[in-house]
Amino acid sequence: MSVSDVNIKRRKGKLEKNYYGYLFTAPFIIGFLLFSFYPLIYTFYLSITNTTLMSETSKIVGLDNFKQLFDDKFFMQSLRNTWKIWLLNFIPQIGIAMLLSIWFTNNRLKMKGVGIFRAIYYLPNLLMPATIAVLFFNFFSMYGPVNQLFSQSTDYFRSTGWTQGIVIFVQWWMWFGSTLIVLMAGMTSISPSYYESATVDGASAAQMFTKITLPLLKPILVYTLVTSLVGGMQMFDIPFMLTDGRGSPSGSIMTMNILMYMKFSSTKGHIGAAASVGVVIFIITCVCAFAIVRLLRDKDPEGTGVSSKVKSRELKKGAAGV
Amino acid sequence: MLKRKMAFALACLMSVGLLAGCQKPSTSTTTKPSDNTPKTLKIWSFTDEVKTYALAYQKEHPEVKVEYTMIPMTNGEFQTKLKSTLQSGDVPDVVSLEISFVKEYVESTYLADISDLSPLTKDMKTYQYTLDIGSSQGKLKALSYQATPGAMFYRRSLAKKYLGTDDPVQVQAMVSDMNKFKDVAKKIKDASSGDTYMVASTGDFANLYFANRQKPWVENDKLVIDPKVNDLLDMAKEFRQNGYEAQATQWQEGWFAGMNDSLVDPATKKAKQVFSYLLPTWGLPYVLMQNGIPKDNADKTAKVGKDTTGDWACISGPMPYFWGGTYVGAIKNAKNLDTAKDFIKFMTLNETTLKNWATGVYNNAYLKAIDNTIGDTLGQGPGDFVSSQKVVDSIVSSFDNSDASKFIGGQNSYKAFQAAAPSINAKLIQASDDAIQRALNDPMANYASGKGTKEETIKAFKEAVKNALPDVKVD
Repeated sequence: MSVSDVNIKRRKGKLEKNYYGYLFTAPFIIGFLLFSFYPLIYTFYLSITNTTLMSETSKIVGLDNFKQLFDDKFFMQSLRNTWKIWLLNFIPQIGIAMLLSIWFTNNRLKMKGVGIFRAIYYLPNLLMPATIAVLFFNFFSMYGPVNQLFSQSTDYFRSTGWTQGIVIFVQWWMWFGSTLIVLMAGMTSISPSYYESATVDGASAAQMFTKITLPLLKPILVYTLVTSLVGGMQMFDIPFMLTDGRGSPSGSIMTMNILMYMKFSSTKGHIGAAASVGVVIFIITCVCAFAIVRLLRDKDPEGTGVSSKVKSRELKKGAAGV
Repeated sequence: MLKRKMAFALACLMSVGLLAGCQKPSTSTTTKPSDNTPKTLKIWSFTDEVKTYALAYQKEHPEVKVEYTMIPMTNGEFQTKLKSTLQSGDVPDVVSLEISFVKEYVESTYLADISDLSPLTKDMKTYQYTLDIGSSQGKLKALSYQATPGAMFYRRSLAKKYLGTDDPVQVQAMVSDMNKFKDVAKKIKDASSGDTYMVASTGDFANLYFANRQKPWVENDKLVIDPKVNDLLDMAKEFRQNGYEAQATQWQEGWFAGMNDSLVDPATKKAKQVFSYLLPTWGLPYVLMQNGIPKDNADKTAKVGKDTTGDWACISGPMPYFWGGTYVGAIKNAKNLDTAKDFIKFMTLNETTLKNWATGVYNNAYLKAIDNTIGDTLGQGPGDFVSSQKVVDSIVSSFDNSDASKFIGGQNSYKAFQAAAPSINAKLIQASDDAIQRALNDPMANYASGKGTKEETIKAFKEAVKNALPDVKVD
C-alpha cells in the first residue's frame, strides 16, 4: 500500500461527512432564525396581545386588535392609499424604464453616453429619502419657490390630490433609475444572436420586443415586480417626512406603514396594535407576491422562456452551420 | 488540508461573530466602578435648554461625567426613542418630558419616586400646578424649572398706526375676549388694506381654547368634545376665510418671518406684517427675541428683516392660558439614581441655579468657559419664568431694565407673569392631550380652508383620535 493510497482513503472518509454543507450555511440559518424568523413569529404573537411600551404587563386579547383595525376608517384608507400610490408610481416607472432600456441597449441605435444617462437617472436613488422629502416640502410650501413662480399661491399640502401627486412623483423619480439598471442588465444578457436571426427573418422591432425581449425578460420582470411590491407596501419615509407624519391632509398619504408607526408611537406605544398592522401588511404582501410568481410562472417545460418558434429556428441554424 | 482547516476555522468564526451579537453586554457591569472613576450622568432632552443646565452642573461637579443627548420632538421622535429604550435596559439617567406627554410617564412605573424632594419644593414655593403635573397618586415623579403662563405680544408701531394707541392697558381692553380679538383683526386688516395680519397662523390661538375647556379630553375612557372645540373651529375658519392670518404654519419659516418683518406674500411679492403672537413666558426669550432680529438670507449673502426690538408690548390677551413647560424626571432603574436626583434638585430646586437661569448668567461666554466645543449659539438669555415663587419674587424687580424688558418697550413682563402664575390650574392635563390635539390639527386646517362641513370635520377628528389612541372610545 503506497502513501497515496492511504491519503485517498483518508480523504474519502472525510468527504463522506456532508456536514460541511450545514456548517457553511449555519451562519445564514442562525442569522435568519434569530433576526428574521423569530421577529416574525413574535410579531404574530404581539398582534394578539394588548402590549404597550408604557406598561410592563400585557395580556392576550385574541383578535381584538384586528377587529379594531378593520373598524378604523384610517386603516381602510391607508390600504387604498398604499395601493394607489404604489400602482400610480410603478406603472410609469416600469414603462419608462422599459422604454429607456430598449433605447439604451438597442444595437441599431448605438446611443452614446448611455453610462452617463444611466448614472444621472440613478442618482436620486442615492439621496436620503428624508432629504428628498424635506426638499419637496420646501419647494411646495406656502412660502416656497414653486408658489413664487405663479401669481396665485396654492396651499399644495392642503390639497389631497397635489400631495398624493407629489409623493407619486417622488417615488417614481427615485426608483425608475434603479429599475432601469435592472432591466438593462436583463436585456444585455439576452443573446444578440436571437435578434440577428430575427432581423434576417424580417421581424419588426415590435415583434422582436414582444417575441424575444419580453419572454426572456420575464424572470427579471417578476423580480422587479415583486421587489417593488414589497417596497411599495412598506412605503414610509417620503410620505412620513413630507407632511406632519400623520398622512395629512385628510389622511391622503397615510400608508400602512405610517399607520403602523403611528400606533407604535402613540401616547402609550401600542405595539400590540402596531403588530397587527404589520401582520396584515405581511399577509397582503405574501399573497400578492405568490400570485405574481404563479401568474407569470414559466409554462415552458424547458425553462428557457424563448418562444418555440425562435428556438426551433435557432436549432435549424445551428444544424445548418454544422 | 490546510485550506480545509482554514475554511472550517472561518466558518466557526463567522458563527461566533453572529452569536456574539446576541450576548448581553454584561462584562462592563461585573467590574464595579471604584470611587475615583467618574460617574456618568446620561441626560436625554429635546432642546438645548437642558444642556445649559447640564453644563452648569458639570461646572459644579467635575467628578461627574455628563453625557447629553438631544433628540428633536418635531414629529415625536424623542418620545418614540425614549419609549422604545425604556424596556431595553440601557436607559438614560435623567429625561426631559414636555408638558404634552409628561403625564404619561408620571403615571407609568418607569420614573423614580422623588418625593423626598417635596419638602424642598415647599421651601422654594414651587408653583403648585407644576407639582400637580409632576405627581401621580401622591408620589412626586417629575419637576419643572419653569412655569408657563400665557400672554399676547403685539407690535407697538402697528397698534399705533391701526388702532390709534400702543398703550398695553388700552390694547388689552380692545382684545379682552375672542370676539373682540376678531373685531380688532378686521379693523387691522381694513386699515392696512390687507397688509397686516392679526396672527401668523390659526394654530396661534388653538391653545387658548384648549386651556379654557370645561372638561378634560378623556372621561371614563371616552373622548369628550368640549364646546370650545366648536368655537375654535369657527374662529379658525373665520380667520382663514377673511384673511386675518398669514396662513403660515407654527414653527415654520413664514411664522418666524413675521417677527422680523421679512414676511413676503409669495405670489404678489408684497411685504406683509404680523400684528401679534400669542406666546407664553418662554415665547419671549426663546422665540420672539431670537427671531425679532435681522437674519441671514438663504445663501447668507445679506440680512433680511429688521430689528423689531423695542417695538413689542406684552398683555394678557383674550383668554388666560398656559402653554408648554419642560419637566425632568429620573428613570427608576438608572445606573446613577443618586446623581440623577441631585441633578434634578440642582436644576429645579436650587435658588442660585434658577436665579442664574432667569437673569441670563448662563450666557454663551459662561458656558464656553466650561466646554469650549459648544459653539457660539448655546446660551440662556434673561427672561425665562421660573417655577419657584421664591425666586420669582426676589428677581422680579431686576427685569425693570433688562434685555427682555427693552425688547417689549420697557415693560416688565415678569411682573405680569408673576401675577398670572399662581392661578394656573392643571386639572385638565391628561396623558393623551398631545395625541388628541395633534389629531385635531389636520381636520381643523381643512375646515379653516373651507373643505368639508363641521360634521365632517368632527367626524374626521374622531376617526383620527380612534386611530391614534386605540384605548380611547369614540362614539
